[in-house]
Amino acid sequence: MIKAQINKRLIGANGSFELDVELQIAKGEFVALYGPSGVGKTTLLRCLAGLEQADQANIKFNGNTWVDTRLRINLEPQLRRVGYMFQDYALFPNMTVRGNVEFALRKGSSTHRINELIELMNLGELQHQKPETLSGGQKQRVALARALASEPSLLLLDEPFSALDTEMRSRLHNEVLRLQRSLGITTIIVSHDVSEVYKLAKRVFVMEAGRIAQHGTPADVFSAGQTSGKFRFTGEILALEPMDVLYSLTVLVGNQIVRVVAMPEEALKLSVGDAVMLVSKAFNPMILKLE
Amino acid sequence: MNSLKGQIVAIDSNNHMSLVDVAVGQDVFTATLLETPATADYLQVGSEVTLLFKETEIALAKNLSGMISLRNRIPVVVKNVVRGDILSAVTLDYAGKRLVSVITSRAIDRLEIKPGDPLEALIKANEIALMAGHDDL
Repeated sequence: MIKAQINKRLIGANGSFELDVELQIAKGEFVALYGPSGVGKTTLLRCLAGLEQADQANIKFNGNTWVDTRLRINLEPQLRRVGYMFQDYALFPNMTVRGNVEFALRKGSSTHRINELIELMNLGELQHQKPETLSGGQKQRVALARALASEPSLLLLDEPFSALDTEMRSRLHNEVLRLQRSLGITTIIVSHDVSEVYKLAKRVFVMEAGRIAQHGTPADVFSAGQTSGKFRFTGEILALEPMDVLYSLTVLVGNQIVRVVAMPEEALKLSVGDAVMLVSKAFNPMILKLE
Repeated sequence: MNSLKGQIVAIDSNNHMSLVDVAVGQDVFTATLLETPATADYLQVGSEVTLLFKETEIALAKNLSGMISLRNRIPVVVKNVVRGDILSAVTLDYAGKRLVSVITSRAIDRLEIKPGDPLEALIKANEIALMAGHDDL
C-alpha cells in the first residue's frame, strides 16, 4: 500500500501553482491519474519514483518510509524498485532491444528473467535490433519490458500509449492488464483518455491545477450525472454530419464504430475528438446471438 | 434530449424493476427502470429528478380517442415545425416548457400539424430515463 502526501511549487503555463496531493493506493491496485496537461500528474509520478524532490513530502510504501522531508529521509530511486515507463519511451539509442531491457535488471538477477520478458512482450525477433529501427508500438513494448525488468513493486506509466494507433493501443492495454493482474503490481497510469481509464483502472484521481478534484471508480467519475440508463459506453467522436433535421454522429466505442443520432443543438456543442458517453435504457437494445 | 424537472411521488418495485411516478407541474409521468430503491440511492419518494427522453421517442396525436397502453400523455401546443425530407422536428410548448418531437414528415402532412395546434404528446414509460437532481445537462 502507498500512502503519499506531496507538496511542491510548480511553474505552469499560467504562472506558478502548488502541487498539493494526498493519496492512498492499495497493494495490487490499478489506478489512473486523469486531467489536462500541466496540472502536475507527471511531477507526482516523478516524486513517487524519486526522480524529483518535493518541497514537503511523506511517502510510505508497504510500511517503509521512502520520503520524509521533515526527517530528511529520501530513499534513492534504485532502492525503491519502481518501474517507470516514460511518455517518450526514453530508450537508449546505442543499445539493442535486449541491452535496453538488461540494463534495468537488478544486480544478481538471472538472465533467465530477460528471456522471459523478451518472450512475454513478443520481442524475440527484434531483440538484437536498435531502437531506431522499431515502430512506435514496438518501442512501447520494449519500454514496458524494461520497466518490468527490475521486478518492480510499483509500476508507473506516464501516458504510455498516447502516440499509438487505436488497434495497437487496444492490444497493449490488454497486455498491460494481463501482466498487471498476473504479477499483482501496484500500478499508476497517467492518462487523458477516458476510454483508456475505463478499460484499465479500478479507480481514478481527477487532477486539476495541482489538486485532486475528484476520485472514485471511472463509472462514478465520468458518468454525466447519475442516470438510470443501464446501457452506457464512453467513446470518441470521429465525425459529425447534418442529416435532415438531425445530426449523425460517428463514435468510436472500444474498437467498434457506431452511429447515433443527435439533435442539432446537441451536435453543435461537440467536436471531433471529444469524449462522450452514450446512454440508453436497458429496454432498448435488441439482442442477436452470435454463432 | 428532452428534459423535464420533477419530483418522485410514488415507486412501485419488485426485486429488479421499478415503476416510478414523477410529478411535473400538474402531470404525473411514469418511467420504467431496471433499478430499485435498494440499488439506486436517489429512488426515494420526494427526491428531485430530471426526466430524460430522446426527441425521436415522443409520438404526437390529434383528437385521440379510445384506450391506449401508453402511460405518459400530455397536452402540448405546436410552436414551430422544421421540415426535412424524411423527418421533421416539431417544437412544442408544454406548460411553458420546451419539448421537441421528431416524427416523419409524412405524419406532419397526415395530421396537418402546424404552429398553434393543440396536440397530445405520448411517451412510452420505458423510453424515459431518470437523472438524480435538477442539474442542467
